[in-house]
Amino acid sequence: MSEIVLRGVGRAFGATQAVQPTDFTFPDGSVTCLLGPSGCGKTTLMRMIAGLDTPTGGRILFDGRDVTGKPARDRDVAMVFQYPVMYRTLSVAENVELALRDDRRLSAAGRRARVDEVLEVMQLQDRRAAGIDALDVGTRQRVAVARAVARDCAVILFDEPTTNVEVHAKTQLIRAFKQFRARLRQTIIYVTHDQTEAMTLADRIALMRDGAITQCDAPHALYDRPESAFGGWFLGNPGMNFLEPRPQGGVARFDGFPSPFRLPDGDPEGLQLGIRPERILVGPAGALPVPAQVLRRAITVGGQYLLLLRAGSATLRARTPPRAPFAPGDTVSIECPISHAAFFRHGQRLVAQPRMTEDVHA
Amino acid sequence: MTLRTHLYHALLWLVALLFFAPVAWIVLSSFKTATQILSVPPVLLFRPTLANYERVLSNPHILWGFLNSLLLSCSAVVIAVAVSFLAAFSFSRFKPRGTAFLMFLLLSIRMLPGSAAILPIYLMYVGLGWKDSYAGVILFYAMFSIPFSVWILKGFIDGVSVRFDETGLVNGAGWFRVIARLIFPQVMPGVIAALIFNFIFVWNEFLFNYIIGGPRTANIPVALATGLYSGGGVDWTFVSVVTTLYIIPPILVVFLFQRFLLVGMTFGTVRGEV
Repeated sequence: MSEIVLRGVGRAFGATQAVQPTDFTFPDGSVTCLLGPSGCGKTTLMRMIAGLDTPTGGRILFDGRDVTGKPARDRDVAMVFQYPVMYRTLSVAENVELALRDDRRLSAAGRRARVDEVLEVMQLQDRRAAGIDALDVGTRQRVAVARAVARDCAVILFDEPTTNVEVHAKTQLIRAFKQFRARLRQTIIYVTHDQTEAMTLADRIALMRDGAITQCDAPHALYDRPESAFGGWFLGNPGMNFLEPRPQGGVARFDGFPSPFRLPDGDPEGLQLGIRPERILVGPAGALPVPAQVLRRAITVGGQYLLLLRAGSATLRARTPPRAPFAPGDTVSIECPISHAAFFRHGQRLVAQPRMTEDVHA
Repeated sequence: MTLRTHLYHALLWLVALLFFAPVAWIVLSSFKTATQILSVPPVLLFRPTLANYERVLSNPHILWGFLNSLLLSCSAVVIAVAVSFLAAFSFSRFKPRGTAFLMFLLLSIRMLPGSAAILPIYLMYVGLGWKDSYAGVILFYAMFSIPFSVWILKGFIDGVSVRFDETGLVNGAGWFRVIARLIFPQVMPGVIAALIFNFIFVWNEFLFNYIIGGPRTANIPVALATGLYSGGGVDWTFVSVVTTLYIIPPILVVFLFQRFLLVGMTFGTVRGEV
């Protein structure tokens, strides 16, 4: 149970700045997901928190205690890696117990009780005597989580634990994660590039790009109000549609919207409008304000359709309910609700949102 | 079995016997009398005698030579492998600046023929007063064994994923524990291989023991050379007894550790993902 504060923490490898100097706080007892594409520095950031890597600048504080130069064992952290590493000659229970051997606070009986408890939480009781070689990667990963949890550290770090695990085992792992979460309130940092996982597990998601945390917010807030075009694009499957403006005097027209927008500063330079595919309404021709043409249709999860539409000169992706009667080549009509549109200038969300003009024919 | 496999086996036996013949000759000779050894045609059936052993082993120089050989080999090899293991670990894990160059430099010690370094080493040992001292000779052999050991062990340690280190470190182990409990057991075959190769090297060493050693630290090869001639010719009974005793330790070592040696040779080919 520990609050982790980063003060200007950065890491350079030669001339490459893998992690930009970062100020950040991981609140006590929270689950924070570091989410970002491969190579954005999220794993490097986590390794510095774990003590496996030393920052080239800045300080790391655990509950106000400076741990920047301290080795991993003095930090009261546990970590689960992409690849579960364990003693193959020992059983599941022995592997979990091993890390507790040096803990002077625990008696032999206390140790066994702890192992039993953790195995139960991770639903591994029936495998406790099994050898490691008999387990699949997913189960091994659960043993690795059990081992990390058993040490009862203030901080647990997860470095993409589900990347090498097949889908079913992944669900089990996530269920086990939630279960131990319900009982213990450690500070958890979870690195992933899987947004579904981040959305499911996190209290807060810290979105990373090019070695910097670009935004940190609750999952739904991050999804609904991305601070950057990158967030809009990276989150969601597919991500936001982005539309370029066609300037007309002091106003800008976006394909897909019936009327032009009055720009707050009259400057269309670098402006983009983003809207999520599931927010776009699609109806039969003439039913909604803007006409569009269906270019392609793909079926997605739950029988929903993903339509590729052309409206004016723009192409848009829209998600429609199951059995929507639109086929490629059809003419349909769409509406992009202005309340769900986000404006970005040079990739950053505009503070003052442009307003749609009343004049449809301007 | 087919004729083909019979022939094959016969051939193998023939080759084995051919190579074993000199060894058999020297071992059998040690149980013969001096006249039997050199008689033509060789005497194959004879009444074995232990008189040679009694005579040779009652010579304190020879006994002392054996003890010296054991002491020098074992201590030099243990020191060399201990130092090399830690050096190889650092080279493999921390990759200090210039690792490749340092590794090359280490190997270059072995590129020079030993005899080329004999004079400076002799002068140095005399100057420092290390000649014929156990510490001096042991450290020299350790120094000579280190390069090869570092190379072998670095290969083995490179083969153990860093994930083991990291998993250990973040689960509460310190470096010492990681090295001793996680890495060392996994590179055991490499350690044994390094021990054996170096043991055989030091066990066989003659030149440097002769030059920088002396009466106190003389090992078996030197004792053998010194005692070779007696009574106006080669003392064959002496040679055969000392040689027979001399080849036993290496054979024992290889025999006892062959399991590890085989693992060492196949290491890296049968390992899966961690």
